[in-house]
This record gives sequence, C-alpha cells and structure tokens, in this order.
Amino acid sequence: MKKTSVFILIAAMLFCMLTGCSVGGMQGGNAGSIKVLMILSNEDTYREMVAQEAGKIAQEQGMQFDLVIGDGTSDAQVKTIKEGVSKGYDVIICNPADAATALQLEIAAGDIPMVFFNSCPEERLLKKGKYVYVGSNEQDAGKFQAEYVLDKLGSKQELNVMILQGEQEHSATNGRTTAVKNALKDSGKKINYIFSDYADWSREKAKNMFDIMLKTGREVDCVICNNDEMALGTIESCKENKIDLASLVILGVDATKDGCEAIENGELSFTVCQSAPGQGRACVEAARALASGEDMSKVEYATDNGLYVYVPFEPVTAQNVTQYK
Amino acid sequence: MAGKKRKLSIKAKLLGTIIPVSAVVLFLLILVSYLVSKGMMKDSAMNLLDASIGNQVAEMEGWLNKDLVSFEMVKKNIEGTKPNDKELQKLLNQYYNYNSDYPEGIYVASEDGTLIKPEDSKKSDKGLLDSIWYTQGLSRVNMAFGSAYTNEEGENIISASGIIDDGEDKVRVISADVSLDHVSLIVNSMVEMEDAEAFLIDTVDGTILAGRDSERLSTKLSTEDSNPLFAGIAKSVEENDYSMKEISGYLTAFQEIGGTEWLLVSDVPTATIYANLNSLRMIMIVIGCVAILCIILLIERMVHMIVRPIKVLTEDITKMAEGDFTVEVKAKGRDEIAAMGRSVQKFVESMRNMIQDIYQISDKLGNQADGSSKISREMYDASIVQSESMKEMNSTVDQLSISVNEIAESATTLAMVVSDTKEDSVRVEEKMQETVQVSQKGKEDMQKVGTAMETISLSITRLEEAVNKVGTASEEITAIVSLIGNIADETNLLSLNASIEAARAGEVGRGFAVVAGEIGKLASNSTESVSNIERLIHEVQALVEDAVEQSRDSSENIKESGQLIGQAVVTFNQIFENIEETSSLIQDMIEKVEKVDAVATNAAAISEEQAASTDMILQTSEDMVTQSNHIMHNSEEVANDAEALAATSEELGRQVKAFRF
Repeated sequence: MKKTSVFILIAAMLFCMLTGCSVGGMQGGNAGSIKVLMILSNEDTYREMVAQEAGKIAQEQGMQFDLVIGDGTSDAQVKTIKEGVSKGYDVIICNPADAATALQLEIAAGDIPMVFFNSCPEERLLKKGKYVYVGSNEQDAGKFQAEYVLDKLGSKQELNVMILQGEQEHSATNGRTTAVKNALKDSGKKINYIFSDYADWSREKAKNMFDIMLKTGREVDCVICNNDEMALGTIESCKENKIDLASLVILGVDATKDGCEAIENGELSFTVCQSAPGQGRACVEAARALASGEDMSKVEYATDNGLYVYVPFEPVTAQNVTQYK
Repeated sequence: MAGKKRKLSIKAKLLGTIIPVSAVVLFLLILVSYLVSKGMMKDSAMNLLDASIGNQVAEMEGWLNKDLVSFEMVKKNIEGTKPNDKELQKLLNQYYNYNSDYPEGIYVASEDGTLIKPEDSKKSDKGLLDSIWYTQGLSRVNMAFGSAYTNEEGENIISASGIIDDGEDKVRVISADVSLDHVSLIVNSMVEMEDAEAFLIDTVDGTILAGRDSERLSTKLSTEDSNPLFAGIAKSVEENDYSMKEISGYLTAFQEIGGTEWLLVSDVPTATIYANLNSLRMIMIVIGCVAILCIILLIERMVHMIVRPIKVLTEDITKMAEGDFTVEVKAKGRDEIAAMGRSVQKFVESMRNMIQDIYQISDKLGNQADGSSKISREMYDASIVQSESMKEMNSTVDQLSISVNEIAESATTLAMVVSDTKEDSVRVEEKMQETVQVSQKGKEDMQKVGTAMETISLSITRLEEAVNKVGTASEEITAIVSLIGNIADETNLLSLNASIEAARAGEVGRGFAVVAGEIGKLASNSTESVSNIERLIHEVQALVEDAVEQSRDSSENIKESGQLIGQAVVTFNQIFENIEETSSLIQDMIEKVEKVDAVATNAAAISEEQAASTDMILQTSEDMVTQSNHIMHNSEEVANDAEALAATSEELGRQVKAFRF
C-alpha cells in the first residue's frame, strides 16, 4: 500500500518534471517589482486616455510604468520593444501600429510577455499566459448600433443605410461593420446600403464622402459610423448642406469628448463607449497577471480561453451622456 | 502424482507476468498513439483545410486587389487631372486590352446616362443607370467589386466601380469588368487538399458564384436544400457562424474575402481525412504484433539466461532434498544467483559434516537403545513372574482366609451346639426323671395286667364249655329236620297221586287237581327249606367248632401272654434300674457339657479374631497384587518405550543412512 503510493508520487513527480508543469506562480514576484513598458503606435486621443489610466493604476499598484509614443510605424515599435527588453522590463503593453505585425513584435520581445490593445492581432498569434489582447468586443459595438437604429426607425420596413467604416485592415472596422450588418439582416427589414465606404476613422474623409453621397441624391435614413470622428464629419457635412440633423440618425463609437458634446447638442444620436479607463485598468491587470504567472481567469472580463480581455461597451445616448463627459 | 501441485517454473511465472503486462502496455501505447494520431490527423486536416481556403482567399484577394489598385490609379489620375470628355476618352482607350483580366478596359458613366468607354469596347450602355455596376458604384468612393451578373455576351462578370471624387457636382461612376472565370479557376482548381471542394457564395443574397458543380452556379443557398451539406452551409451563413465545423460528414471551413461580400466555403469529406487512419491502424497493429513478438523473444531469452543457473541450483537443491549431499554446487559469476550457489555449497559441506556426526551419534544411540530395550524386556518378564507369584500367594492367602473363617464358623457352630446340648441335656434329665416315674408306674401297671390276664384265662375256659353245649343242641336240631324232610317227600308223592286221580275224575276232579297241585308245591317248598336248614345247621356247627378251637387257642395265648407279661415286669424292672443309672450318667454328662461349652465359646472367639486377621492379610495381599500388576504394566510400558526407542533409533539410523555424503 505504502509502496504503491510512493511509486505513484514518484511517477507524478517525474511526470511533472518531464512535462514542465509547475505548481502555482513561481516566476515573477510581487506586483511592486514589476516593470511595465507601454507603447502607443502614435498620438491618439483615445489611446492616450487608455495609457493615462493604465499609468495611474500601475502606480497605485506600485509598479514601475513607462510610456513610449511611437511614430506609427511597426519598425519604430520593434526598435522600442528591443530597447525595452534590454532595459529589463517584465511585460510590455502595446497597441500595434499594424496588427498584422504582431508576430514581429512578439519575436522582438523574446521571452517577455505582451499585452496587445486597441488593434487585435489574429487569434493564432495570441498565446495563453504569454500574449493577450485587451479591448472590447467589437461585435458588441455594432450590435448596440443596430439595436438603436432598429429601435429608432422600427416603423420603416425599408431602411436606407449609409455606413462609414474605419481602416480596411483594422480589426475594429470588420468587427463593428459585420455586427451591424448581421443584426440589421436578422431584423428581416429590407436594408439598402446606399453608401458604404472606408473613411479610415477620419472626420475629413467622412465629411467628403457624405458630401459625395448627397450628390448621388439618394435618400438616407441613418449614417452608421465605426467611430465618433467619422460621425462628426458627417454632422459637419450636414450642417454645411443645411440638412436637418433631427431627421437623420447618426451613430458613432467611442464616446469621445467631441462625440459626447455632439450628443448633448442633439447632433449625434448614439455612440458606444469603449471605456478608456476600463481598458487602461484591464491592460495593467493583464500585464500584472502575465508578469507574475497568474492565471488569466483571475483577471476581470478575461475570456475562457485566456486570450482576450473584453472590457464591455456601454451604449451612450442623450439620456446618459453626462456620465461619459 | 495427479494430486500433486503442478510445478510452475519461474520462467513460466516471469513470462506469464511480463508478457501480458508488456503486451497490455504496448497495446495501450499503441492505442494512445493511435488516438493521438487520430486527433493530430483531424487537427492537421483542419489546418490543411484552413490553409487551403486561406490560400484561395489570399489568392483571390490578391488577384482582385491587384486589379483594384490598377483601377484606383486610373481613378486617381482622372480625379487629379480632371480631363474633359475627349481627354478622358483618350485616356480610357489606353486601357482597352491592356490587361487580360479586364480586356474591355475601364469606362466612366455619368449620371445623365452617358457612357465614356474605350472606342473598341463592346460594353453596352443599355439600362446604364439601373445596371448593377452603376448603382453599386454610386454607394462608394473607393472602387470595390460588386455583385456578379451576366453581361450581354453571356459572360459571368463582376464589376469594380466607384464614384469619381473630382469635386464636380455631376456624379460620375468609374467601372471595369472582370470575368468571373479567373475567380472560378481559383475556387475550383486551387484547392490544396485531396478530395476537398470549394465554392464561392455572395453573402448579400446567398448566390453561388463559383464552384465545381455547374448546376448549382447562380442558384441560391437554402436551408431547405435536399443536400444536408448545403442546407447546413446555408444555416451557418444565415447565422453568420463562420467557424470550421463538421456538417453531415464534411469538414467545412468558411472564409470571407476582404473587400467583397463574398464567402469562400471549402469542404472535405471526413472519410478522406480518416482514410489514412485505417492504414495507420493496420501499420500500428502490425508494429504492435511484431513488437510484442520481439519482446516475447527477448524476454524469453533473457529469462532463460537468468533462470538457467537457478535451474542447475534447483536440481542440486532437489537432490539435497532427496538426501543426496554428495552434490557439488558450481557457481559462476558475481550475481545474486552465484552468491546463492556459493552459499548453498557451503551449506552442503556443513550439512555433510553434520550428518556424519549425527550418523555416528545415532549409531551409538541405537546400541544403547537396544541394550536398554533388552534390559527393560527382562525387567518386564521378571515383573510378570513376580506378579504371577503374588497372585498365587494371594489365592493361597485367600484359601487360608476361607479355611480360618470356616474354622471360626465351625467353632461358633460347635459352641452353639454345645450350648444347645447343655440345654437339651437339662431337658433330658427332666424327661429322664419323668421316664423314671413313668417306668415305675408302668411296672405297677404291668403287675396289674398280669392279674387281669389270669382272670381272662378263666373266662375263656367257661366260654369253651358254653360253646360245646351249643354243638350238642345243633345235632338234635339236625335230627328233627331230617324227619321233616321225609314227611315233605311223602307229601309230594301223595300230591302226585292225588293229581293223577283228579285227572281221571275229569271235570269233577279238576278242583281237586288244583288242591293237589298246591299241596305238591308246599311239599317241594318244605323239602327245599329242610335242605336249607340242614345246610345252616351244618354251618353253625362248623362255626361252633371254630369257636371252640379259637377259644382253646386264646386260652393258650393268654397263658403265654401271662408268662410274657411276667417276663415284661421283670424286664421293666431292669429298664427302670437302667434308666435310673442313665439319669445319673446324664447328670454327669451335663456337667461335662457345661465345661465343653465354656471351652467352645472361648475357641469361637479366638477363631473369629483369627479370621479377622486373615482378612487383613488377604487385603494386604490383594494390594500387593494390584501393586505388582502396576509394576508389571509400568515395566511393560518401559519395555515398550525402550522398544520404541530402539525402533526410533533404528529409524534414525536408517534415515541418516539415507543421506549420502
């Protein structure tokens, strides 16, 4: 009996040694000694808000936190990451300039774990306990937009929809657009996409596209934009062309300062708040978990597979906009 | 032998354990690797399908983008240079047949219905404002491919179109037609997986744009499709679920094509994926069998090698078990078995010495046991003799005791008899006194009898005289009776004559005849009576004579009696004197008897005491017999034990002899 149990114990130990299973988080250390490097691809209001919150939380938890804002190129990011590795950071938080370069960034980081945010790399490039993505489920943003449209314009059986999308390769563009389209399709109404193009998150491009759309003389019931900036461009165009904003439903995403103001002014109908503080906090939490070898499931909003942390979106309308200013 | 436990060799045991265990382990290993392989195969199939569809999509996107980039360049050029219609015509002419993908070149439609196209282009401007390419082009600035349609030549084409952003108020759409053939080529031919199939779906309305099954081209997907695969795909498309999944025996992958509303679907029968699995299974079974065989052989050989010295050792030990200690155990090598062999050899040697010692000792023991057995047997015999003697003595004592007892009894009886005799003699004396008196009285009575006898003699003489007189009287009577007889005879003659006479008288005489007859009868009767009287008298006479004679005898007898009585009186007197003498003798005797009585009583008491003593002797002698019996039994047991000891020692000797050393 005793022999058997000893044998089993030895077998289990051998098995552990061979397979490298570890009991508990032996690596890393306490939160106080963790060095975090955060890299932004370029200057951006929203991302800076995320970074600001992340820095605040990291300092609260006693971590060493450094922020680098790049020039928007992947090469610059690779360089920054390599410097970070040599300086002995424990974990890197990064919004990739191009999500497709995530593998390059991971290689540059070597053994150091990374938290991606804002732009989501392909799932195969994420790895449990090593590379995670912090963001919001883009599908939810699109779903909220579609729900609002269907609520506002539910009486119409035929909807003329204009969609202004972000950059073509951006994960948020596809996620949000697809979700909106699917939700509208599921409503059973006839949806006419009278205009659908990539305005690349840009207010200017959006304004121009709306101008052009107006020239085609097509009727439009709603303008669904992948972000607030493009929605604001649409609003500017409307104002210039003397279009009654009350009769046009314009939707954005992000609940930026300008966006919220536009809602307060009655120009923007709806936006979705992608909580910048929420994402900032989630980035730090995820970074801490990765650096200390903790299980991702202990991080709030982490998905079951441990690859994503989805900070929930929050719908913002004239009713609740004051909370988000 | 049948009941004996079957011998199970170590080799069989080892093989019986190791081989099944190894076989099971091997089988499990193979099973696990089979299952893992199966999983890996599925994973690899999924990856392969994923890669295949990914490549197709990339190819398609690359191909579409390459053309789109070209179109965009032309568009940018127009937007930048803002050419007039003539210049535009000239510009567009350059692109006719410029690229095989869009041989008809690029064309521009204006919202007023005019179409500017390369001069040689066959592009029709019929229904221009309602055409798919124009209406779809109106919905974007950046050129993009729209839905597929069939042109006037019957070709399946798609158009890339977009609004020219030149700041003019007049809306113009630039467009170019691309044949779907190349897309079909990519869809149908660039599948990189065996048995896999792909088709292209326009997600806007579910139209199948390209695929191998020409019958399904341009048809729409339906969840009610009779083919469960297509129904399943339609369902997935409807639910926007583009994850890889198994639909009715097909592993199906979905991938959207960037910049379009298209969806590429690729499927491969799972049977194909697992086809290799069967051969894998076969290979694994064969490998498993071969491996098990090899292991069996290897283990058999190894066990054989390991067990061989044990076998030799076992044979030696078996011989030892049978008592043969002449064996020499040879041990080669340095392993445990060799060490065991050497130890056994040492053991054999020490055993050999030990058995030798035992043999000698047992020999001695045997002799001693024999001696002791003999002695004890003798002792036993002696004890039997003693016992017998004891018994005999006992019976002698017993008889003695009986005799003494008898003597005691006799003495007692004698004492009692003497005592009785004493009493009797007292009574005899009394009786003797009475007898003396009676005999005195008898003497007197005897004298009286003598007197009476003389009287009787006188009476009898007188009686004789009386009787003689009776005799005389009887003779006289006889004379009278004879006379009467004579008369009766004569009467009878007279009656006879009277009857004859009466007969002659006849009737008158008849009465007379009767009286005569009667008289005759009387006469006869009288005669008869006379004879009777005569006879009686004769008898009386005889009697009287007897009486006379007898009385004569009596008288003589009485005379004799008188003489005898006289003699009796004399005798009586003598008796009386004798009795008196006897009486005095008896008195003397009584005195003597009393003396005897005292002596006899004394003798009885002594002989009783003697009897009691004899009983005690008897008791003691019986105890002695019992003891002697015990001794006999014990000595018998001792003899038996000694014999058993002798037998044991003999057995020991035999056993020891069984060892060979």
